[in-house]
Amino acid sequence: MIATGVAAEPPAVADPVVPARRRLPPLFLLGASGAVAVVLLAPLLFLLIEASGSGAGTIAHLIWRPLTATLLWNTVRLTVVVTALCAVIGTLTAWLVECTDLPGRRIWAVLLVIPFAIPDFVISFGWASISTWVQGFQGAVLVMTLAVYPLVYLPVAASLRGADPGLEDAARSLGLGRVRTFLRVTVGQARGAILGGCVLVALVILAEYGAFEILGYQTFTTEIFTEFQVSFNVPTACALSLVLVVLGGVVLGAEPVARGKGRAVRTGAQAQRAIRRHRLGRATLPVLAALALLVALALGVPVGTSVYWMFASGVPFLTGVSVLDAGWHTALYSGVAAALATLLALPVALLAVRHSGRGGRLLERSTYLVLAMPGIVIALAISYFAERYAGGFGYQSAPLLIAAYAILFFPLALVGVRASVAHAPVALEEAARSLGRRPDEVFLRVTLPLIGPGLAAAFCLVFLACATELTATLVLVPTGVQTLATQFWAYQQNLSYGQAAPFALVIIAIAAVPSYVLARHFDRLPSRAGSAS
Amino acid sequence: MTPGSGAPLAADRAASAGGSTGSLPAPGPASLDAPIATEGLTTSDLHKAFGDHPVLRGVDLTIPGGTFAAVLGASGSGKTTLLRILAGFERPDRGVVAVGGVILDDDHHHLRAERRRIGYVPQEGSLFPHLTVEGNVGFGLRAREGREAEIADLLERVGLSGLGSRYPHQLSGGQQQRVALARALAVRPRIVLLDEPFASLDAGLRATVRADVRAAVQRSGATAILVTHDQDEALSIADLVAVIRDGVVAQVASPRDLYESPVDPDLARFVGEANLIEGTSYGSTAETPLGWLELCDGHRPSRQQITVLVRPEQLRVTPSAGGGPGVAARVVETGFHGHDALVRLITEDAAVAPMIARVVGGMRLEPGAQVTIKVVGPAHCWPRPPAGDANPDPPAAEPKAGPG
Repeated sequence: MIATGVAAEPPAVADPVVPARRRLPPLFLLGASGAVAVVLLAPLLFLLIEASGSGAGTIAHLIWRPLTATLLWNTVRLTVVVTALCAVIGTLTAWLVECTDLPGRRIWAVLLVIPFAIPDFVISFGWASISTWVQGFQGAVLVMTLAVYPLVYLPVAASLRGADPGLEDAARSLGLGRVRTFLRVTVGQARGAILGGCVLVALVILAEYGAFEILGYQTFTTEIFTEFQVSFNVPTACALSLVLVVLGGVVLGAEPVARGKGRAVRTGAQAQRAIRRHRLGRATLPVLAALALLVALALGVPVGTSVYWMFASGVPFLTGVSVLDAGWHTALYSGVAAALATLLALPVALLAVRHSGRGGRLLERSTYLVLAMPGIVIALAISYFAERYAGGFGYQSAPLLIAAYAILFFPLALVGVRASVAHAPVALEEAARSLGRRPDEVFLRVTLPLIGPGLAAAFCLVFLACATELTATLVLVPTGVQTLATQFWAYQQNLSYGQAAPFALVIIAIAAVPSYVLARHFDRLPSRAGSAS
Repeated sequence: MTPGSGAPLAADRAASAGGSTGSLPAPGPASLDAPIATEGLTTSDLHKAFGDHPVLRGVDLTIPGGTFAAVLGASGSGKTTLLRILAGFERPDRGVVAVGGVILDDDHHHLRAERRRIGYVPQEGSLFPHLTVEGNVGFGLRAREGREAEIADLLERVGLSGLGSRYPHQLSGGQQQRVALARALAVRPRIVLLDEPFASLDAGLRATVRADVRAAVQRSGATAILVTHDQDEALSIADLVAVIRDGVVAQVASPRDLYESPVDPDLARFVGEANLIEGTSYGSTAETPLGWLELCDGHRPSRQQITVLVRPEQLRVTPSAGGGPGVAARVVETGFHGHDALVRLITEDAAVAPMIARVVGGMRLEPGAQVTIKVVGPAHCWPRPPAGDANPDPPAAEPKAGPG
C-alpha cells in the first residue's frame, strides 16, 4: 500500500523535507546556555588570571596581614548583626501584615517594602547628613538594617500568605500558647523563606560600597575600591577580592539548604487560605506606633533630609540640565544592559524549565555563582582585563559598563524570565503547530504573548537595578559622562548636599514607584498561572 | 449536543459558503460535514528509543479511513510516544508513517507537524490561556469571510454555544476538552489524535463528554485515534482497538473480537476479568473441570492441551446447590457494584482455582452460599504450551473493578 502510494504521488513525498536532525533544540540551548555561563563566570576567571599573574606567594603575603584580619572582623560582625536584625524585623512585620487584623494592612504592605527600592547609599546619605552619631559600626548597623530588612519581609510575607492555617489550629489544639505557636509553627513554616532572605541580606552587605564609604566604615569592598581606584594597587585589590568572593561563596553555600526547606513548606496553590487573622487587641496601638517609627526611620529620614537639603542649602538648584543629561545616560546604559541580561537569561531559563536534565540544572546553578561576586569585583576584573589584555580597548567605555551590569544583574533577570517561560508550556506550542501554524507564527501568536509580560517585568527589574547601581558604575562609567548615581556621588563627596539632594530625590522617584508596580505584578503571577492551567 | 439532523447541515453549508479553504494547503471541502476523502493511517516497523530505553520496537498498524480507533496500553507501553510520532512532534528512529498512501515519516523524510493536517487534542486540553474560546477555536483558521460563523458552528457542534467570549480558566474541565476538540476540528484534519482526553474528568461527566466527542468527530468525517489506558473506555468508544504492549502492537481487533478472542491469556486479562481454565480439546468441544464446554474457534485437534477463556458473564450462577446441571460451588466473596456484582467462587471439588462470575446486582449471594455454576455459550481457547514451559499463572481471582 505504501509503495504504491508513493509511486502514485511522488511530489507529495518529496515536498517538505527536513534533514535528519535529532534533538537539535536541546543541543542549541545547551550551547547557548554554556556560552552564557562562560560570559558570566569570565570575571571570576579574570580575577584568577590576575592573581596568578602576581604570583601565589605575593597574593598569600597580601592576604596574611593585619589589614585583612581587620577587614574580615568588620565585615563579618556587621553581616552577622544586620542579618540577625533583619531576620527579626522582617519576620515580625511580615507576620503583622499577613496574619493579624492590623489596621491599614495594604498601606503598610507598600510602605514597608519601599525602603528596599531606595539605594543604600541614598539612605546612608540621608542619615549621615543630619547626625554625627550615624558613623562607623553603629551607623552601618542602623542604615543597613533599615535599607535591607525588606529582603526578609518579602519572601516571608509570600510564604505566610501561602501557608496552611490548619497547622496553627492544630498547634493550638495541642495545647501550645500563642507565642509558642508563633515560634514553633508559624516561624517554622516560614523558615525556608527567612533563611533565603537572610542569604540575600548577607550578600548585599558583602557587596555594599557607597553606604559604608559615607559612614566611614571600612569593609572589604571599600578597601578594594580604594586600593584599585585611588592607589592603583592592583595585586592588593585582587587579593582582597579573592577573599571577598570566598566569603560570598560561603554565604551562597547556605542557599541550597534554605531553598530546599522553602519548597517543602509551600503548600500547593489549591490550598486556599481561610482568612482568619489574629486579633491584636490592646497591642494594636503600640504595634502601629512601632511600625510608624520603622517607616519614619527607613523612608521618612532619607526623603525628608533630601527635601530639606534641597531647600535649606541656599544653593539655587538649577541642576535641571545636568539631571536631564545624567538621567539620559542612566536610561541608555540601563536599558541596553537590561535588554542584554534578559536576552542572556532566556536560553538558561528555557533549558531549566523545559529540559530538566542534569546538565541544564548544573548550568543554571553555575550562573547563580554570580551572586557571590560583588559589583566592585566584577568591575575590577573587567576593567583590569580590558586594560591588560585588550590593549585598553573599551576601558571606561559604555559597552564595558553595560557588560558589567548585565553580568551583575543576570540572576535577577533569570528569576523573572524563568517565571515567565513557565507560562508557556511546550504542549501549547505543539497544539498550535498541529493546527497548521508555522514555528514563526507559533512564536508570535502563542509563545510571545504568554511570556511577553514576564519578560517585560524582568527587563524593568534589571533596568531599575542598573539605574540605581553605584559601585561598578563609579569604576566603569565612560570618562566625562555622569549618570544619576555618579553625579549624586560627586556632589555628596564634595559635601554639596544641596546639589546632591535633587539627584537623591530623582533616584528615589524612579526606583520606588516602578518597584511597587513590579512587586504587584509578580504578586499576581502565581494566581494567574494557577487559573490558566 | 447537536443531534445529527438536517438543520445544522444546512447551517454548515451557509456558514462556509463564503470561503472554501482552511488554513492548510489542501483544498478544504465546501462544508464541515462533507465527507473528507477519508484517509487511513499506516505505520510499519516504527522504532523509537529515548537514550538506551527502547519505547517503540517495531509498531505495525493499519487504521482504515473514517474509523474511530483506540490505542490501548498500560502506562509506559509506548502509546503516547506513538501518538506524538503520528502528530509529528517526535521523529521515529526507524520505520514509516503514511496517511492516505502518502509517506509522512521514513528514513529520509519528516513532514513537520504543522503540515500534516493531523489534529491533536492534548491530555489536559492545553488551551491557549491568553485567548478566548473563540480565539482558541479559530486559531488555525485564516482571517476570511465566514470565519465567525464557522467558529460559532463548531462551538454549537460541541455544545458550547454562547461561551465564545469566555477565557479557558472560566470553563470546567469537560468544557475545556470540548473546546480543544472544536479547535482541532476547525482546520478539518484528516486524522484527529486524542491523548487520554477524558482522564482528568469526573467519572459522571466522562460518559457524556465521550459520547459527544465521538459524535462530533464522526460528523467531521475524520479518522480518530484515541490513546487510553482504560480498557473500558477503549471498548466502549472505538470501532477498532489496537493493544500496544512493550512497544509492539499485540492485537488489532474490533472491541467485541478483542474481548471474546484475545490473542493470548495475558491480553485476555488486560482487557477484562478472565477465568482461565485448563482442559483438553476434542474437536469443537473441550473437557474441563467445569464439564464439557463448547469451543468457538472451530475444530481443534483431538486430545490437545488447551487453556479456555471463560468471561465472568459466561458463568451462570444459580443459588440452590444440587439443582439442575452444573458444577457445585461455594461463594467466597461478593463485590457489589450496584448494577451488577462480581462473585468469587470456588468449586466444591476445588479442581480449579477460584473463579469470578458476574451476576445481576439484585441477586443476593452471601459468602458461604451454595450455588451451581454452568458455562453458557462457546468459549475461546488457546493451545497450551508443553508442560514445563512458562505457563500462564492461575487465573486472577481477585474481584476487581471489571468493565462496567
